Amino acid sequence: MFGFLVNPNKFNKFADIIMKPLCYSTFVILLVGLILIYLSPSDYQQGSTVRIMYIHVPAAWLAMLTYLIMTICSVVALAFRIPLGFIINIAVAPIGAMFTLICLVSGSLWGKPMWGTWWVWDARLTSVAVLFVIYIIIIFLKYSFENREVQEKTTAIFIIIGSINLPIIKFSVDWWNTLHQPASISKLSSPSIDTSMIIPLITMCLAFMFIGLLIALIRIKTEIILRKDNL
Amino acid sequence: MKLIKKIFYFFVREFKISFKNLNDLFSNVLFFFLAIFVFVFAIGPDKQALNTFGIGIIWSLLLLSSTLSLRRFFQDDFNNDALIVIHMGGLSYELIVILKIISHFVFVKLPFLIAIPIASTLVHIDYNKIILLLISFIIGSLILSCLGSISAAMNLLNKRNFALGSLIVMIFSIPMIIFSVAVVNDEENFSSLINILIGLFLIFFAISPWVSAACIRLALSNK
Repeated sequence: MFGFLVNPNKFNKFADIIMKPLCYSTFVILLVGLILIYLSPSDYQQGSTVRIMYIHVPAAWLAMLTYLIMTICSVVALAFRIPLGFIINIAVAPIGAMFTLICLVSGSLWGKPMWGTWWVWDARLTSVAVLFVIYIIIIFLKYSFENREVQEKTTAIFIIIGSINLPIIKFSVDWWNTLHQPASISKLSSPSIDTSMIIPLITMCLAFMFIGLLIALIRIKTEIILRKDNL
Repeated sequence: MKLIKKIFYFFVREFKISFKNLNDLFSNVLFFFLAIFVFVFAIGPDKQALNTFGIGIIWSLLLLSSTLSLRRFFQDDFNNDALIVIHMGGLSYELIVILKIISHFVFVKLPFLIAIPIASTLVHIDYNKIILLLISFIIGSLILSCLGSISAAMNLLNKRNFALGSLIVMIFSIPMIIFSVAVVNDEENFSSLINILIGLFLIFFAISPWVSAACIRLALSNK
């Protein structure tokens, strides 16, 4: 059933089947999300700038989710010698870097009117910047080795070591007293987000996920085809 | 007994190599001093400013100068196949990495123990802080040696991007540099901060032999 996750050929066929419905649903969800953002209420303090949140928060989640997927892929690929894991690593790294960049830039644009600065050296911002640099190093590692096996495995090992950063990003707002607010999405946390804002947020998050998945599928397919040609 | 003999000869060989390459070591130390000069020229010889920024300057320059000597870890032994010979002599790659980390610490990092007090008088650091700086340097440079072994082993076959090794060391040394500067600057919390620093060292010392040995095996099988 899950053979497409192990075998590149089956993955290619699976990607061909899933591609068209994925395109349509991505378009629909993105459109619905943008309309919901337009209809969503302004914040009583922040005014209309609160709408940056609908880009910022999904990008941040997706940046971390992408790294988590890469970590799982590298562990699985190194342990069970599954080549598709390495292919996913190479294909997904620029997407994660882009999401991290979107998160940093949108956060900076949000920070200027709200906090008064483009950038502060607090724990959350710094650790996300470190995540961005780690993504960049992963992309560089791809281009610096001639032998493909060395390149794949070194990248995987580097990804596993770099995953130390993920819990630091997640818990930085709880461990240190930061300017960045703690997570307020969960209904259990005491200052939590209103329902009228969480629906567009979740929709945008789904839209970002679908966009990332779409680009990742195209990149993985390209990578598989390139490797077949090189053999 | 045999193992101890092998380890002894390993260190004798390392000592001979580093004794022959003394100019390499001295150019590392010279880089450190020269970089301090550059910093003083850039900031200005204001005594108060140098006193406040001095420890940060010294620590960041120690980090930068440690990235210069990354090639000395495995590259020469890898190129002339000495790694395989040592391995066939009965030492596992993990043990070789641990011995390399220790020898790198002794033969490359310890000369900085003499350089640091001189440098800290140049940037007007208080005398009671120099001993704290030396303590934090000993633990911090052990961490740097572990990170250096990881990065050097990863870049054994890297012939295109030479700055990448330094990048890998610098990105993982961020917690080390935070706590080792805090050890010197924050004297009230000395014991808790030094415990965190030792904990960081133990983490990196635990992972670096496995990671480096895996990368060395990978590089040797694809040489």
